[in-house]
Amino acid sequence: MQKWIKIVLIVSGIFLVAGSVVVNIIYNKPHRNVMKEQSVQLSAQKLYEAFRTNEAEANKLYLDKAIEMTGEVSEIIINQDGKVVINFKTNDPLFVINCTFKTNPGELKSGQTITFKGICTGYIPDANVVINEGVLVK
Amino acid sequence: MKLFLSLIISTLFLVSNTNAQKIFATRNGKITFSTLSDEDVKAVNNEVTSRLADNGQMTFSLLIKGFKFKYAEMQEHFNDQYLESSKFPRADFKGTIVNLKDVNFSNDGSYKVSVTGDLTMHGVTKNITANGTLEIKAGKPVAACQFSLLMKDFKVDASSVTDKVTVDISCQYQ
Repeated sequence: MQKWIKIVLIVSGIFLVAGSVVVNIIYNKPHRNVMKEQSVQLSAQKLYEAFRTNEAEANKLYLDKAIEMTGEVSEIIINQDGKVVINFKTNDPLFVINCTFKTNPGELKSGQTITFKGICTGYIPDANVVINEGVLVK
Repeated sequence: MKLFLSLIISTLFLVSNTNAQKIFATRNGKITFSTLSDEDVKAVNNEVTSRLADNGQMTFSLLIKGFKFKYAEMQEHFNDQYLESSKFPRADFKGTIVNLKDVNFSNDGSYKVSVTGDLTMHGVTKNITANGTLEIKAGKPVAACQFSLLMKDFKVDASSVTDKVTVDISCQYQ
């Protein structure tokens, strides 16, 4: 009888531990912190050209990667969730690199040169390359 | 004769000018999806590129990797297992406003619209129709719409989480 109780206790104990480990993994896993990641450094124009020339190849190189980009801010937008978004120009007047900040970069002006670091989510033809979860490097 | 020609040319120019399509656009529209079964399964994308022309044509494009979840683990599952976002990075919709005659782009107000078109996601294209509102505010349109999508229609096997999601669209055009 006692042995039986012991087994039940041990088994349920194992389940409890395993369960809490799983829950912990699911709920406490941190989101990516782009600040700590090694980045690819390139210009807005280069990134645009890479996607326009060969989207599949550019996806392999840049999709989901940390990208660091220095350039002139052409436009500043506040998105519907209150986050700051800036556009970097390319030589195509209709095409920009659309960059969303995760943390507030403070006051920015159009025409100002900044370095932005974020994660590339991909390419929308004839419109933009999107980089989000970004931070202001300088 | 010269005067006549220039008259014709200027008339032509005027006509073509009045026929010119007006296109409104945004690069930072918002699309949210959620499920009824689990309130944690909710994600937001704030980088929706959309264009709306006054002839009724509408396009929406978004990047799957741009959906942000509260929990990083869910975001990873969503990208790697369900939507396979490295293989299919983008979702696109191309459609038209069915009842365009009910909308007056030059008159501020709120108009009920029905939009129909093709949605491509996860490598599958399907025709969908959704009802929403188009509000014209100071000459600029704001679109809002809610509809449901069945995961199996897009060959997404997320049955352990949900078989249906509710999609919310909110776009402020310039």
